[in-house]
Amino acid sequence: MKPYLAIIAMDIKLALRLRAVIFFNYLFPLIFFFTFATLLHRSADDMVFVVTMSVTLGVLGSGFFGAGIRAIQERELNILRRYKVTPISPTPILVGSMVTGWAIFIPYIVLLLLTAHFLYKMPLPTHFFGLLLFISLGLIAFRALGLVIASVANTMQEGTILVQLFYFPMLLLSGATFPADKFPKIMTIIHNFVPATYLVKGMQNILLKGQGLGTKENLLAVIVMVVTTISGGLIATKLFRWEKEEKIRGSAKLWVLAVLLPFFAMGIWNWIHLK
Amino acid sequence: MSEQPVIYVNQLQKSYDKVEAVRGIDFAVSQGEVFGLLGPNGAGKTSTIEILEGLRPRTGGDALVLGFDPDKQKQQLKDRIGVCLQATNLPVKIKVQESLELFGSFYTRSVSAELLLKRLQLWEKRAAYYETLSGGQKQRLALALALVNDPQLLFLDEPTTGLDPQIRLEIHKLIEELKAEKRTVVLTTHYIEEAERLCDRVAIIDAGKIVAMGTPRELQQKSQERSRIDIVVAQPLNGTVLPQWPEALDTKLGDDGRALTVYSSRPARTLFEIMKWLDQQGIQLEDVHLKRPTLEDVFVELTGKKLRD
Repeated sequence: MKPYLAIIAMDIKLALRLRAVIFFNYLFPLIFFFTFATLLHRSADDMVFVVTMSVTLGVLGSGFFGAGIRAIQERELNILRRYKVTPISPTPILVGSMVTGWAIFIPYIVLLLLTAHFLYKMPLPTHFFGLLLFISLGLIAFRALGLVIASVANTMQEGTILVQLFYFPMLLLSGATFPADKFPKIMTIIHNFVPATYLVKGMQNILLKGQGLGTKENLLAVIVMVVTTISGGLIATKLFRWEKEEKIRGSAKLWVLAVLLPFFAMGIWNWIHLK
Repeated sequence: MSEQPVIYVNQLQKSYDKVEAVRGIDFAVSQGEVFGLLGPNGAGKTSTIEILEGLRPRTGGDALVLGFDPDKQKQQLKDRIGVCLQATNLPVKIKVQESLELFGSFYTRSVSAELLLKRLQLWEKRAAYYETLSGGQKQRLALALALVNDPQLLFLDEPTTGLDPQIRLEIHKLIEELKAEKRTVVLTTHYIEEAERLCDRVAIIDAGKIVAMGTPRELQQKSQERSRIDIVVAQPLNGTVLPQWPEALDTKLGDDGRALTVYSSRPARTLFEIMKWLDQQGIQLEDVHLKRPTLEDVFVELTGKKLRD
Protein backbone atom coordinates (compact mmCIF):
# COMPACT_ATOMS: atom_id res chain seq x y z
CA MET A 1 0.00 0.00 0.00
CA LYS A 2 2.94 2.33 0.76
CA PRO A 3 3.97 2.79 -2.91
CA TYR A 4 0.35 3.51 -3.92
CA LEU A 5 -0.05 6.24 -1.32
CA ALA A 6 3.38 7.71 -2.03
CA ILE A 7 2.76 7.83 -5.79
CA ILE A 8 -0.73 9.32 -5.40
CA ALA A 9 0.50 11.99 -2.95
CA MET A 10 3.44 12.85 -5.23
CA ASP A 11 1.32 12.89 -8.41
CA ILE A 12 -1.13 15.31 -6.81
CA LYS A 13 1.73 17.57 -5.68
CA LEU A 14 3.34 17.49 -9.11
CA ALA A 15 0.04 18.17 -10.87
CA LEU A 16 -0.62 21.22 -8.71
CA ARG A 17 2.86 22.54 -9.50
CA LEU A 18 2.29 22.41 -13.25
CA ARG A 19 0.61 25.43 -14.78
CA ALA A 20 -0.57 23.34 -17.74
CA VAL A 21 -2.53 21.05 -15.42
CA ILE A 22 -4.25 23.98 -13.74
CA PHE A 23 -4.95 25.57 -17.11
CA PHE A 24 -6.43 22.49 -18.80
CA ASN A 25 -8.32 21.23 -15.75
CA TYR A 26 -9.72 24.51 -14.49
CA LEU A 27 -9.19 27.59 -16.63
CA PHE A 28 -9.80 26.12 -20.08
CA PRO A 29 -13.19 24.48 -19.25
CA LEU A 30 -14.13 27.53 -17.16
CA ILE A 31 -13.46 29.84 -20.12
CA PHE A 32 -15.85 27.70 -22.19
CA PHE A 33 -18.33 27.66 -19.36
CA PHE A 34 -18.43 31.44 -18.90
CA THR A 35 -18.44 32.14 -22.64
CA PHE A 36 -21.36 29.82 -23.37
CA ALA A 37 -23.17 30.59 -20.13
CA THR A 38 -23.08 34.29 -20.99
CA LEU A 39 -24.44 33.54 -24.46
CA LEU A 40 -27.00 30.86 -23.58
CA HIS A 41 -28.22 31.35 -20.03
CA ARG A 42 -31.85 31.98 -21.03
CA SER A 43 -33.18 28.87 -19.30
CA ALA A 44 -32.19 26.13 -16.88
CA ASP A 45 -32.13 23.70 -19.82
CA ASP A 46 -29.59 25.89 -21.59
CA MET A 47 -27.47 26.01 -18.47
CA VAL A 48 -27.56 22.21 -18.18
CA PHE A 49 -26.30 22.06 -21.77
CA VAL A 50 -23.48 24.47 -20.90
CA VAL A 51 -22.55 22.59 -17.71
CA THR A 52 -22.64 19.25 -19.53
CA MET A 53 -20.42 20.65 -22.28
CA SER A 54 -17.88 22.01 -19.79
CA VAL A 55 -17.78 18.77 -17.81
CA THR A 56 -17.44 16.62 -20.95
CA LEU A 57 -14.66 18.86 -22.21
CA GLY A 58 -12.87 18.42 -18.89
CA VAL A 59 -13.45 14.65 -18.68
CA LEU A 60 -12.20 14.01 -22.21
CA GLY A 61 -9.25 16.38 -21.74
CA SER A 62 -8.33 14.70 -18.46
CA GLY A 63 -8.65 11.21 -19.97
CA PHE A 64 -6.90 11.66 -23.28
CA PHE A 65 -4.40 14.43 -22.53
CA GLY A 66 -4.03 14.30 -18.74
CA ALA A 67 -3.68 10.52 -18.55
CA GLY A 68 -2.82 9.37 -22.10
CA ILE A 69 -0.44 11.99 -23.44
CA ARG A 70 1.20 12.48 -20.05
CA ALA A 71 1.95 8.75 -19.77
CA ILE A 72 3.56 8.77 -23.24
CA GLN A 73 5.55 11.85 -22.26
CA GLU A 74 6.87 10.17 -19.12
CA ARG A 75 7.94 7.17 -21.15
CA GLU A 76 9.56 9.31 -23.88
CA LEU A 77 11.44 11.41 -21.30
CA ASN A 78 12.87 8.26 -19.65
CA ILE A 79 11.04 8.99 -16.39
CA LEU A 80 9.34 5.58 -16.29
CA ARG A 81 12.73 3.96 -16.90
CA ARG A 82 13.79 5.09 -13.42
CA TYR A 83 10.75 3.35 -11.91
CA LYS A 84 11.52 0.19 -13.86
CA VAL A 85 14.58 -0.62 -11.74
CA THR A 86 12.56 -0.52 -8.51
CA PRO A 87 10.47 -3.42 -7.18
CA ILE A 88 7.11 -1.84 -8.06
CA SER A 89 4.79 -3.07 -10.82
CA PRO A 90 2.94 -0.76 -13.27
CA THR A 91 -0.25 -0.98 -11.18
CA PRO A 92 0.60 1.73 -8.59
CA ILE A 93 1.61 4.08 -11.42
CA LEU A 94 -1.65 3.52 -13.31
CA VAL A 95 -3.80 3.68 -10.17
CA GLY A 96 -1.91 6.83 -9.18
CA SER A 97 -2.76 8.42 -12.54
CA MET A 98 -6.47 7.61 -12.18
CA VAL A 99 -6.78 8.75 -8.57
CA THR A 100 -4.81 11.95 -9.20
CA GLY A 101 -6.94 12.84 -12.21
CA TRP A 102 -10.04 12.34 -10.10
CA ALA A 103 -8.73 14.30 -7.10
CA ILE A 104 -7.77 17.24 -9.31
CA PHE A 105 -11.02 17.23 -11.29
CA ILE A 106 -13.75 16.79 -8.69
CA PRO A 107 -13.22 20.21 -7.03
CA TYR A 108 -13.71 21.74 -10.49
CA ILE A 109 -17.09 19.99 -10.83
CA VAL A 110 -18.26 21.29 -7.47
CA LEU A 111 -17.05 24.78 -8.38
CA LEU A 112 -18.82 24.58 -11.74
CA LEU A 113 -22.15 23.43 -10.28
CA LEU A 114 -22.07 26.08 -7.58
CA THR A 115 -21.17 28.81 -10.09
CA ALA A 116 -23.97 27.69 -12.45
CA HIS A 117 -26.39 27.73 -9.53
CA PHE A 118 -25.45 31.02 -7.91
CA LEU A 119 -24.53 33.07 -10.99
CA TYR A 120 -26.86 31.62 -13.61
CA LYS A 121 -29.74 30.29 -11.53
CA MET A 122 -29.35 26.65 -12.57
CA PRO A 123 -31.10 24.48 -9.95
CA LEU A 124 -28.73 22.22 -8.04
CA PRO A 125 -29.27 18.57 -8.96
CA THR A 126 -31.58 16.56 -6.69
CA HIS A 127 -29.03 13.76 -6.76
CA PHE A 128 -25.93 15.89 -6.21
CA PHE A 129 -23.72 13.05 -4.98
CA GLY A 130 -25.19 10.71 -7.60
CA LEU A 131 -24.03 13.20 -10.23
CA LEU A 132 -20.56 13.44 -8.67
CA LEU A 133 -20.33 9.65 -8.60
CA PHE A 134 -21.49 9.40 -12.22
CA ILE A 135 -18.95 11.99 -13.39
CA SER A 136 -16.24 10.29 -11.32
CA LEU A 137 -16.96 6.95 -13.04
CA GLY A 138 -16.90 8.66 -16.43
CA LEU A 139 -13.65 10.40 -15.63
CA ILE A 140 -11.95 7.19 -14.47
CA ALA A 141 -13.28 5.26 -17.50
CA PHE A 142 -11.91 7.86 -19.92
CA ARG A 143 -8.59 8.01 -18.07
CA ALA A 144 -8.39 4.22 -18.41
CA LEU A 145 -9.02 4.65 -22.14
CA GLY A 146 -6.29 7.33 -22.29
CA LEU A 147 -3.87 4.95 -20.54
CA VAL A 148 -4.66 2.18 -23.03
CA ILE A 149 -3.89 4.61 -25.87
CA ALA A 150 -0.58 5.44 -24.14
CA SER A 151 0.17 1.72 -23.89
CA VAL A 152 -0.35 1.02 -27.59
CA ALA A 153 1.27 4.18 -29.01
CA ASN A 154 4.92 3.68 -29.83
CA THR A 155 5.75 7.37 -30.11
CA MET A 156 4.33 10.71 -29.08
CA GLN A 157 3.33 11.31 -32.69
CA GLU A 158 1.31 8.09 -32.81
CA GLY A 159 -0.22 8.89 -29.43
CA THR A 160 -1.26 12.38 -30.52
CA ILE A 161 -2.91 11.03 -33.69
CA LEU A 162 -4.79 8.36 -31.73
CA VAL A 163 -5.93 10.87 -29.12
CA GLN A 164 -7.19 13.31 -31.76
CA LEU A 165 -9.01 10.46 -33.51
CA PHE A 166 -11.01 9.83 -30.37
CA TYR A 167 -11.14 13.26 -28.73
CA PHE A 168 -12.73 15.38 -31.45
CA PRO A 169 -15.40 12.93 -32.67
CA MET A 170 -16.38 12.34 -29.04
CA LEU A 171 -16.57 16.05 -28.38
CA LEU A 172 -18.55 16.83 -31.54
CA LEU A 173 -20.80 13.77 -31.83
CA SER A 174 -21.64 13.05 -28.19
CA GLY A 175 -24.14 15.88 -27.94
CA ALA A 176 -21.82 17.79 -25.63
CA THR A 177 -21.11 20.65 -28.02
CA PHE A 178 -24.09 20.39 -30.42
CA PRO A 179 -27.54 19.34 -29.17
CA ALA A 180 -28.03 15.72 -30.23
CA ASP A 181 -31.76 16.21 -30.88
CA LYS A 182 -30.86 18.44 -33.83
CA PHE A 183 -28.62 15.78 -35.46
CA PRO A 184 -29.78 14.28 -38.79
CA LYS A 185 -30.73 10.58 -38.64
CA ILE A 186 -27.38 9.19 -39.78
CA MET A 187 -25.61 11.33 -37.19
CA THR A 188 -28.01 10.09 -34.52
CA ILE A 189 -27.00 6.51 -35.32
CA ILE A 190 -23.31 7.39 -35.08
CA HIS A 191 -24.04 9.41 -31.92
CA ASN A 192 -25.23 6.22 -30.23
CA PHE A 193 -21.87 4.55 -30.87
CA VAL A 194 -19.83 7.40 -29.40
CA PRO A 195 -18.69 6.52 -25.84
CA ALA A 196 -18.94 10.09 -24.53
CA THR A 197 -22.64 10.12 -25.50
CA TYR A 198 -23.46 8.04 -22.41
CA LEU A 199 -21.60 10.44 -20.16
CA VAL A 200 -23.49 13.40 -21.64
CA LYS A 201 -26.88 11.65 -21.56
CA GLY A 202 -26.39 10.47 -18.01
CA MET A 203 -25.48 13.95 -16.79
CA GLN A 204 -28.47 15.45 -18.63
CA ASN A 205 -30.78 12.82 -17.12
CA ILE A 206 -29.58 13.64 -13.62
CA LEU A 207 -29.53 17.42 -14.09
CA LEU A 208 -32.63 17.90 -16.22
CA LYS A 209 -34.92 15.03 -15.31
CA GLY A 210 -33.85 14.72 -11.68
CA GLN A 211 -33.05 11.05 -12.21
CA GLY A 212 -30.79 9.05 -9.93
CA LEU A 213 -28.32 6.37 -10.95
CA GLY A 214 -30.94 3.64 -10.53
CA THR A 215 -32.86 4.24 -13.80
CA LYS A 216 -32.35 1.65 -16.52
CA GLU A 217 -30.51 4.02 -18.87
CA ASN A 218 -28.24 5.47 -16.21
CA LEU A 219 -27.54 2.12 -14.65
CA LEU A 220 -26.49 0.72 -18.03
CA ALA A 221 -24.19 3.70 -18.55
CA VAL A 222 -22.70 3.12 -15.08
CA ILE A 223 -22.13 -0.56 -15.84
CA VAL A 224 -20.53 0.26 -19.20
CA MET A 225 -18.19 2.80 -17.59
CA VAL A 226 -17.21 0.40 -14.80
CA VAL A 227 -16.54 -2.38 -17.34
CA THR A 228 -14.46 0.07 -19.41
CA THR A 229 -12.48 1.10 -16.33
CA ILE A 230 -11.75 -2.50 -15.35
CA SER A 231 -10.93 -3.73 -18.85
CA GLY A 232 -8.98 -0.56 -19.66
CA GLY A 233 -7.03 -0.84 -16.41
CA LEU A 234 -6.19 -4.49 -17.03
CA ILE A 235 -5.16 -3.91 -20.65
CA ALA A 236 -3.10 -0.83 -19.75
CA THR A 237 -1.31 -2.89 -17.06
CA LYS A 238 -0.73 -5.80 -19.43
CA LEU A 239 0.62 -3.62 -22.26
CA PHE A 240 2.47 -1.15 -20.02
CA ARG A 241 5.92 -0.23 -21.29
CA TRP A 242 8.58 1.47 -19.20
CA GLU A 243 10.89 2.51 -22.00
CA LYS A 244 10.48 4.18 -25.38
CA GLU A 245 12.78 1.56 -26.91
CA GLU A 246 10.27 -1.20 -26.10
CA LYS A 247 8.07 -1.08 -29.17
CA ILE A 248 4.71 -2.75 -29.49
CA ARG A 249 3.35 -4.32 -32.68
CA GLY A 250 0.93 -2.19 -34.73
CA SER A 251 -1.95 -4.64 -34.30
CA ALA A 252 -1.90 -3.94 -30.53
CA LYS A 253 -3.80 -0.73 -31.33
CA LEU A 254 -6.89 -2.91 -31.72
CA TRP A 255 -6.92 -3.18 -27.93
CA VAL A 256 -8.31 0.37 -27.86
CA LEU A 257 -11.34 -0.89 -29.78
CA ALA A 258 -11.60 -3.86 -27.44
CA VAL A 259 -11.87 -1.48 -24.46
CA LEU A 260 -14.63 0.39 -26.26
CA LEU A 261 -16.68 -2.78 -26.88
CA PRO A 262 -19.12 -2.12 -24.00
CA PHE A 263 -19.93 1.26 -25.56
CA PHE A 264 -20.44 -0.36 -28.98
CA ALA A 265 -22.79 -2.84 -27.34
CA MET A 266 -24.73 0.10 -25.90
CA GLY A 267 -24.74 1.68 -29.38
CA ILE A 268 -26.23 -1.43 -30.93
CA TRP A 269 -28.81 -1.68 -28.15
CA ASN A 270 -29.83 1.96 -28.68
CA TRP A 271 -29.80 1.60 -32.46
CA ILE A 272 -32.22 -1.31 -32.27
CA HIS A 273 -34.48 0.69 -29.98
CA LEU A 274 -34.19 3.73 -32.26
CA LYS A 275 -35.41 1.67 -35.21
CA MET B 1 35.67 -12.19 0.16
CA SER B 2 32.99 -14.83 0.72
CA GLU B 3 32.98 -18.16 -1.14
CA GLN B 4 29.53 -17.72 -2.66
CA PRO B 5 29.68 -15.29 -5.60
CA VAL B 6 27.31 -12.33 -5.52
CA ILE B 7 26.85 -12.70 -9.27
CA TYR B 8 27.20 -15.96 -11.14
CA VAL B 9 26.82 -16.05 -14.91
CA ASN B 10 27.16 -19.18 -17.03
CA GLN B 11 26.84 -19.25 -20.83
CA LEU B 12 24.56 -16.22 -20.76
CA GLN B 13 22.88 -15.48 -24.07
CA LYS B 14 20.60 -12.75 -25.33
CA SER B 15 19.12 -12.40 -28.80
CA TYR B 16 16.90 -9.69 -30.25
CA ASP B 17 15.12 -11.33 -33.19
CA LYS B 18 18.03 -12.62 -35.23
CA VAL B 19 20.69 -10.44 -33.62
CA GLU B 20 22.80 -12.16 -30.95
CA ALA B 21 23.73 -9.41 -28.50
CA VAL B 22 25.26 -11.70 -25.84
CA ARG B 23 26.81 -14.95 -27.05
CA GLY B 24 27.49 -17.25 -24.14
CA ILE B 25 29.47 -15.37 -21.51
CA ASP B 26 30.69 -16.63 -18.12
CA PHE B 27 31.86 -14.74 -15.08
CA ALA B 28 31.43 -14.51 -11.34
CA VAL B 29 31.69 -11.50 -9.06
CA SER B 30 32.60 -11.83 -5.39
CA GLN B 31 31.32 -9.77 -2.51
CA GLY B 32 33.07 -6.43 -2.09
CA GLU B 33 34.52 -6.53 -5.58
CA VAL B 34 34.33 -3.68 -8.09
CA PHE B 35 33.87 -5.45 -11.41
CA GLY B 36 34.16 -3.50 -14.65
CA LEU B 37 32.53 -4.29 -17.96
CA LEU B 38 34.33 -2.61 -20.84
CA GLY B 39 33.29 -2.66 -24.43
CA PRO B 40 32.46 -0.46 -27.40
CA ASN B 41 28.86 0.51 -28.08
CA GLY B 42 26.81 -2.52 -29.12
CA ALA B 43 29.28 -4.96 -27.55
CA GLY B 44 26.57 -6.44 -25.32
CA LYS B 45 27.52 -4.93 -21.96
CA THR B 46 24.24 -3.06 -21.40
CA SER B 47 22.24 -6.18 -22.39
CA THR B 48 24.31 -8.21 -19.91
CA ILE B 49 23.86 -5.72 -17.09
CA GLU B 50 20.12 -5.34 -17.76
CA ILE B 51 19.61 -9.11 -17.67
CA LEU B 52 21.35 -9.18 -14.28
CA GLU B 53 19.19 -6.31 -13.01
CA GLY B 54 16.03 -8.25 -13.94
CA LEU B 55 15.08 -5.73 -16.62
CA ARG B 56 15.35 -8.05 -19.64
CA PRO B 57 14.84 -11.80 -19.94
CA ARG B 58 17.81 -13.86 -21.08
CA THR B 59 17.58 -16.12 -24.11
CA GLY B 60 19.85 -18.82 -22.71
CA GLY B 61 22.31 -19.76 -20.00
CA ASP B 62 22.16 -19.34 -16.24
CA ALA B 63 22.37 -16.29 -14.02
CA LEU B 64 22.15 -15.88 -10.27
CA VAL B 65 22.34 -12.49 -8.58
CA LEU B 66 22.38 -12.40 -4.77
CA GLY B 67 21.00 -15.94 -5.02
CA PHE B 68 18.00 -14.83 -7.10
CA ASP B 69 17.22 -15.80 -10.67
CA PRO B 70 16.78 -12.39 -12.41
CA ASP B 71 14.11 -13.83 -14.73
CA LYS B 72 11.99 -15.55 -12.10
CA GLN B 73 12.56 -13.49 -8.94
CA LYS B 74 12.59 -9.98 -10.35
CA GLN B 75 10.80 -8.22 -7.51
CA GLN B 76 12.92 -9.79 -4.75
CA LEU B 77 16.07 -8.99 -6.71
CA LYS B 78 15.09 -5.39 -7.49
CA ASP B 79 14.32 -4.88 -3.80
CA ARG B 80 17.93 -5.72 -2.91
CA ILE B 81 20.01 -4.06 -5.64
CA GLY B 82 20.82 -0.45 -6.46
CA VAL B 83 20.84 0.68 -10.06
CA CYS B 84 22.13 3.84 -11.69
CA LEU B 85 21.00 3.74 -15.31
CA GLN B 86 22.20 5.77 -18.25
CA ALA B 87 19.82 8.50 -19.41
CA THR B 88 17.03 8.54 -16.87
CA ASN B 89 14.99 11.51 -15.78
CA LEU B 90 12.64 12.51 -13.03
CA PRO B 91 9.57 14.75 -13.27
CA VAL B 92 10.70 18.36 -13.67
CA LYS B 93 8.78 19.62 -10.66
CA ILE B 94 9.83 16.98 -8.16
CA LYS B 95 12.07 18.24 -5.37
CA VAL B 96 15.35 16.49 -4.61
CA GLN B 97 14.36 15.25 -1.15
CA GLU B 98 10.88 14.27 -2.33
CA SER B 99 12.36 12.05 -5.03
CA LEU B 100 14.39 10.12 -2.46
CA GLU B 101 11.39 9.76 -0.17
CA LEU B 102 9.19 8.61 -3.07
CA PHE B 103 11.64 6.01 -4.36
CA GLY B 104 12.49 4.94 -0.81
CA SER B 105 8.82 4.03 -0.31
CA PHE B 106 9.08 1.36 -3.04
CA TYR B 107 11.52 -0.79 -1.05
CA THR B 108 11.13 -2.95 2.02
CA ARG B 109 14.17 -1.21 3.50
CA SER B 110 15.29 2.37 2.95
CA VAL B 111 17.94 4.80 4.14
CA SER B 112 17.08 8.25 5.49
CA ALA B 113 16.89 10.82 2.70
CA GLU B 114 18.77 13.32 4.86
CA LEU B 115 21.69 10.95 5.26
CA LEU B 116 21.94 10.29 1.56
CA LEU B 117 21.60 13.95 0.61
CA LYS B 118 24.42 14.86 2.96
CA ARG B 119 26.59 12.03 1.69
CA LEU B 120 26.05 13.02 -1.95
CA GLN B 121 26.51 16.75 -1.17
CA LEU B 122 22.94 17.55 -2.14
CA TRP B 123 21.64 18.70 1.23
CA GLU B 124 21.71 22.35 0.15
CA LYS B 125 19.66 21.40 -2.89
CA ARG B 126 17.07 19.32 -1.02
CA ALA B 127 14.20 21.70 -1.81
CA ALA B 128 15.27 22.41 -5.40
CA TYR B 129 13.20 21.22 -8.34
CA TYR B 130 14.81 18.54 -10.50
CA GLU B 131 14.66 20.86 -13.53
CA THR B 132 16.96 23.36 -11.81
CA LEU B 133 19.80 20.89 -11.11
CA SER B 134 23.04 20.85 -13.09
CA GLY B 135 24.16 17.70 -14.92
CA GLY B 136 26.51 16.78 -12.07
CA GLN B 137 23.83 17.30 -9.44
CA LYS B 138 21.36 15.17 -11.42
CA GLN B 139 23.93 12.39 -11.60
CA ARG B 140 24.63 12.65 -7.87
CA LEU B 141 20.88 12.37 -7.29
CA ALA B 142 20.77 9.31 -9.57
CA LEU B 143 23.48 7.76 -7.40
CA ALA B 144 21.61 8.71 -4.23
CA LEU B 145 18.52 6.99 -5.66
CA ALA B 146 20.62 3.90 -6.37
CA LEU B 147 21.59 3.87 -2.68
CA VAL B 148 18.13 4.56 -1.29
CA ASN B 149 17.51 0.90 -0.33
CA ASP B 150 20.99 0.46 1.19
CA PRO B 151 21.94 -2.16 -1.43
CA GLN B 152 24.85 -4.55 -1.05
CA LEU B 153 25.11 -4.80 -4.85
CA LEU B 154 25.13 -1.80 -7.18
CA PHE B 155 25.00 -1.63 -10.95
CA LEU B 156 26.42 1.63 -12.24
CA ASP B 157 25.97 2.01 -15.98
CA GLU B 158 28.39 4.68 -17.21
CA PRO B 159 27.89 6.85 -14.14
CA THR B 160 30.34 9.56 -15.19
CA THR B 161 29.68 9.87 -18.92
CA GLY B 162 29.40 13.47 -20.02
CA LEU B 163 30.37 14.93 -16.65
CA ASP B 164 33.18 17.39 -16.04
CA PRO B 165 36.44 16.07 -14.51
CA GLN B 166 35.74 17.44 -11.03
CA ILE B 167 32.36 15.70 -10.76
CA ARG B 168 33.92 12.53 -12.15
CA LEU B 169 36.51 12.61 -9.38
CA GLU B 170 33.77 13.07 -6.77
CA ILE B 171 31.93 10.05 -8.17
CA HIS B 172 35.18 8.03 -8.20
CA LYS B 173 35.59 8.89 -4.53
CA LEU B 174 32.05 7.70 -3.81
CA ILE B 175 32.68 4.40 -5.60
CA GLU B 176 35.87 3.96 -3.56
CA GLU B 177 33.84 4.58 -0.40
CA LEU B 178 31.28 1.98 -1.51
CA LYS B 179 34.11 -0.46 -2.05
CA ALA B 180 35.49 0.30 1.42
CA GLU B 181 32.03 -0.48 2.81
CA LYS B 182 32.35 -3.95 1.18
CA ARG B 183 29.55 -3.31 -1.26
CA THR B 184 29.80 -5.06 -4.61
CA VAL B 185 29.79 -2.78 -7.64
CA VAL B 186 29.35 -3.68 -11.30
CA LEU B 187 30.53 -0.76 -13.37
CA THR B 188 30.37 -0.11 -17.08
CA THR B 189 32.40 2.76 -18.38
CA HIS B 190 33.89 4.33 -21.46
CA TYR B 191 36.73 5.83 -19.45
CA ILE B 192 39.72 3.50 -19.30
CA GLU B 193 41.37 5.43 -16.47
CA GLU B 194 38.17 4.99 -14.46
CA ALA B 195 38.34 1.21 -14.89
CA GLU B 196 42.07 1.18 -14.09
CA ARG B 197 41.57 3.24 -10.98
CA LEU B 198 38.38 1.72 -9.59
CA CYS B 199 38.00 -1.87 -10.76
CA ASP B 200 39.41 -4.92 -8.99
CA ARG B 201 38.71 -6.91 -12.12
CA VAL B 202 37.66 -6.05 -15.63
CA ALA B 203 35.96 -8.05 -18.38
CA ILE B 204 36.40 -6.81 -21.92
CA ILE B 205 33.34 -7.59 -24.03
CA ASP B 206 33.30 -7.47 -27.80
CA ALA B 207 30.58 -8.69 -30.14
CA GLY B 208 28.72 -10.36 -27.28
CA LYS B 209 31.68 -12.34 -25.94
CA ILE B 210 34.22 -11.79 -23.18
CA VAL B 211 37.57 -11.50 -24.92
CA ALA B 212 39.65 -10.95 -21.77
CA MET B 213 39.10 -10.87 -18.02
CA GLY B 214 41.36 -10.19 -15.06
CA THR B 215 42.73 -7.41 -12.89
CA PRO B 216 43.72 -4.32 -14.89
CA ARG B 217 47.37 -5.17 -14.15
CA GLU B 218 46.99 -8.77 -15.36
CA LEU B 219 45.43 -7.55 -18.57
CA GLN B 220 48.19 -5.01 -19.07
CA GLN B 221 50.81 -7.71 -18.53
CA LYS B 222 49.15 -9.97 -21.08
CA SER B 223 49.53 -7.23 -23.64
CA GLN B 224 52.11 -7.60 -26.34
CA GLU B 225 52.52 -3.86 -26.33
CA ARG B 226 55.91 -2.57 -25.27
CA SER B 227 56.59 -0.28 -22.32
CA ARG B 228 58.14 3.02 -23.21
CA ILE B 229 60.89 4.78 -21.23
CA ASP B 230 61.29 8.51 -21.89
CA ILE B 231 64.48 10.10 -20.60
CA VAL B 232 65.75 13.68 -20.81
CA VAL B 233 69.42 14.33 -20.07
CA ALA B 234 71.30 17.60 -19.47
CA GLN B 235 73.83 17.37 -22.31
CA PRO B 236 73.20 16.20 -25.91
CA LEU B 237 74.08 12.59 -26.69
CA ASN B 238 74.64 13.23 -30.42
CA GLY B 239 77.66 11.29 -31.52
CA THR B 240 77.66 9.08 -28.42
CA VAL B 241 77.45 5.37 -29.15
CA LEU B 242 74.47 4.11 -27.23
CA PRO B 243 74.78 0.60 -25.84
CA GLN B 244 72.27 -2.23 -26.42
CA TRP B 245 70.59 -2.23 -23.00
CA PRO B 246 69.17 -5.56 -21.75
CA GLU B 247 65.57 -6.28 -22.90
CA ALA B 248 65.52 -3.03 -24.92
CA LEU B 249 63.66 -3.54 -28.19
CA ASP B 250 64.26 -0.18 -29.82
CA THR B 251 66.05 3.08 -28.97
CA LYS B 252 65.45 6.52 -30.47
CA LEU B 253 67.27 9.76 -29.84
CA GLY B 254 65.39 13.04 -30.33
CA ASP B 255 66.58 15.79 -32.72
CA ASP B 256 68.03 17.86 -29.88
CA GLY B 257 70.05 14.87 -28.69
CA ARG B 258 68.75 15.19 -25.16
CA ALA B 259 65.49 13.20 -25.36
CA LEU B 260 65.95 9.47 -25.42
CA THR B 261 63.11 6.97 -25.95
CA VAL B 262 63.69 3.31 -25.24
CA TYR B 263 61.08 0.55 -25.84
CA SER B 264 61.37 -2.48 -23.64
CA SER B 265 59.64 -5.76 -22.88
CA ARG B 266 60.95 -5.65 -19.27
CA PRO B 267 61.09 -1.96 -18.45
CA ALA B 268 62.33 -2.25 -14.85
CA ARG B 269 65.43 -4.12 -15.91
CA THR B 270 66.12 -1.85 -18.88
CA LEU B 271 65.60 1.29 -16.82
CA PHE B 272 67.99 0.07 -14.14
CA GLU B 273 70.68 -0.53 -16.78
CA ILE B 274 70.13 2.87 -18.40
CA MET B 275 70.48 4.61 -15.04
CA LYS B 276 73.68 2.69 -14.35
CA TRP B 277 75.08 3.64 -17.78
CA LEU B 278 74.22 7.32 -17.36
CA ASP B 279 75.91 7.35 -13.98
CA GLN B 280 79.03 5.68 -15.37
CA GLN B 281 79.16 8.20 -18.22
CA GLY B 282 78.69 11.12 -15.81
CA ILE B 283 75.61 12.26 -17.71
CA GLN B 284 73.15 14.25 -15.64
CA LEU B 285 69.56 13.04 -15.71
CA GLU B 286 66.83 15.72 -15.93
CA ASP B 287 63.62 13.72 -16.36
CA VAL B 288 62.45 10.14 -16.67
CA HIS B 289 59.02 8.62 -17.45
CA LEU B 290 57.93 5.02 -17.73
CA LYS B 291 54.75 4.35 -19.69
CA ARG B 292 53.33 0.87 -19.45
CA PRO B 293 50.70 -0.33 -21.96
CA THR B 294 47.34 0.99 -20.74
CA LEU B 295 44.09 -0.88 -20.58
CA GLU B 296 43.17 1.13 -23.66
CA ASP B 297 46.15 -0.41 -25.50
CA VAL B 298 45.02 -3.86 -24.38
CA PHE B 299 41.50 -3.07 -25.43
CA VAL B 300 42.54 -1.94 -28.91
CA GLU B 301 44.82 -4.96 -29.24
CA LEU B 302 42.01 -7.38 -28.34
CA THR B 303 39.08 -5.81 -30.14
CA GLY B 304 40.67 -3.75 -32.89
CA LYS B 305 38.40 -0.90 -31.77
CA LYS B 306 38.69 2.17 -29.61
CA LEU B 307 36.54 2.04 -26.48
CA ARG B 308 34.44 4.98 -27.57
CA ASP B 309 33.74 3.60 -31.06
